[in-house]
Amino acid sequence: MKNLVIEPTKYTPGINFLFDERVLEISGESYPENTAEFYSPVLKWITEFLKINESKTITVNIVIQYFNSSSSKIFMDLFDLLNDKSHEGLNIIVNWNYLEEDDNMLEYGEEFQEDVDNLKFNLVPRKSI
Amino acid sequence: MDDSLFRLKQSYDEKGIFFSLSGPISQDLIVEIGDILKHKMKLEEASNSTILKVFSLLIEQSQNIIHYSVEKIQTQEKLNKELHFGIITVGFDGGHYYVIAGNLIDNKDIHRLDEKLNKIADMDNDQLKAYYKSERKKESDQQSKGAGLGFIEIARKACQPLEYNFEKIDSDHSYFTLKTVI
Amino acid sequence: MTKSLYTFKENLAKKGVFLCFSGPISHDLMVEMGDVLKLKMQLQEENISTILKVFSLLIEQTQNIMFYSAETIPEPENANNKLHLGIITVSYFNNSYFVQGGNKVKTSDVSRLEEKLSKLQKMSKEEIKEYYRAQRRLTSPKTSKGAGLGFIEVARKSSKPIEYHFKKIDDQFSFFSLKSTI
Repeated sequence: MKNLVIEPTKYTPGINFLFDERVLEISGESYPENTAEFYSPVLKWITEFLKINESKTITVNIVIQYFNSSSSKIFMDLFDLLNDKSHEGLNIIVNWNYLEEDDNMLEYGEEFQEDVDNLKFNLVPRKSI
Repeated sequence: MDDSLFRLKQSYDEKGIFFSLSGPISQDLIVEIGDILKHKMKLEEASNSTILKVFSLLIEQSQNIIHYSVEKIQTQEKLNKELHFGIITVGFDGGHYYVIAGNLIDNKDIHRLDEKLNKIADMDNDQLKAYYKSERKKESDQQSKGAGLGFIEIARKACQPLEYNFEKIDSDHSYFTLKTVI
Repeated sequence: MTKSLYTFKENLAKKGVFLCFSGPISHDLMVEMGDVLKLKMQLQEENISTILKVFSLLIEQTQNIMFYSAETIPEPENANNKLHLGIITVSYFNNSYFVQGGNKVKTSDVSRLEEKLSKLQKMSKEEIKEYYRAQRRLTSPKTSKGAGLGFIEVARKSSKPIEYHFKKIDDQFSFFSLKSTI
């Protein structure tokens, strides 16, 4: 599969999905005008990616400073996809990065963590994002 | 919660104001307002000439606020980051578009501004054109960032003499309002 | 109007309103408002957590206006899409920030909206979070641009229960205002 690389804008995150390394990163801000439209290729890529069954560990790094409520729904869908796959034995790690002083982002991370019953969901405080 | 937001909207509607921005004025913000303004005026079938005039008055008057408003915030370390505060409104009333801009100024500047504006108040288009050319040739004033010419430009685009007002706030500051009608 | 601009500015200042926009809102315009808000708060050395909270409420409430305001003009590129009109203000008063948004709605939608909002207003922080998570699982990403979580998100981020107001204009339209606190 080819890598998926989308440059960030002021209100859409940078997407850096590296196939060989099995490292997927979403970073920046997320409040697009049409969330479904922006994330459609992203979710498509991930769905295809997850069909490939093998034992390499998948790492997902979320490094988001702000996301709006419709993005929240997309993230939930994404984590659900990953969580379902992890039940098949695949080792998937999600790193939810957040700014140390941002209690909001920590809270959202904790909630996603609670909502995924099998995924390794780590909360990673950062001094800067 | 009370109906103050509704009353604000009502007062805008009554005056024919369809854009109003009060607060920190940034170039990028004005550019976006400008885009929407051009589009809205096209929908209202304003002539291209009118659209360009109103648009450029929006830009000119906003940039006056950005350059000259005394109400601002800046930090010591990053002096290149500054925010200037003012009010810019665009409306339509009695068959004409109009742009009103307001910002804080130092009282010591009132006389200079008043003089400049007074001078051009009674000029017709030809006189304004000639005055503009002569002012442009003069030694550039370091302080002005172009405002000397700015008012003349503004006057040239307006279809009526400029309306302006200095409202004294205290011993240091006044509020300067400028209205242009197209 | 030139004389009353200062009075208008003073009225806003009395309520601590430092950003006030009224007019058709495009996505790009909203983005620039967000930028200017962040910069203003950064220059005033507000802590990052507060900045992000106020910013996110500005975006969320503005996007609500952009999705649901009943007062519209057709969009530039696509006449089938619309630019939505509304008012958005950000203020600082008595040590709290407030974000207020106002827009026209269909009078026929008022009772449905009121039901949603009064429900949220009565919930505790925990209940809002639970409701948010439940709703997030329900809405389909394909249908709505906004996922229907907007009001819940606002209620969730507001440090006090949200406040709202409906003012009937006529049988067709009413004016809806929403206020959040940080």
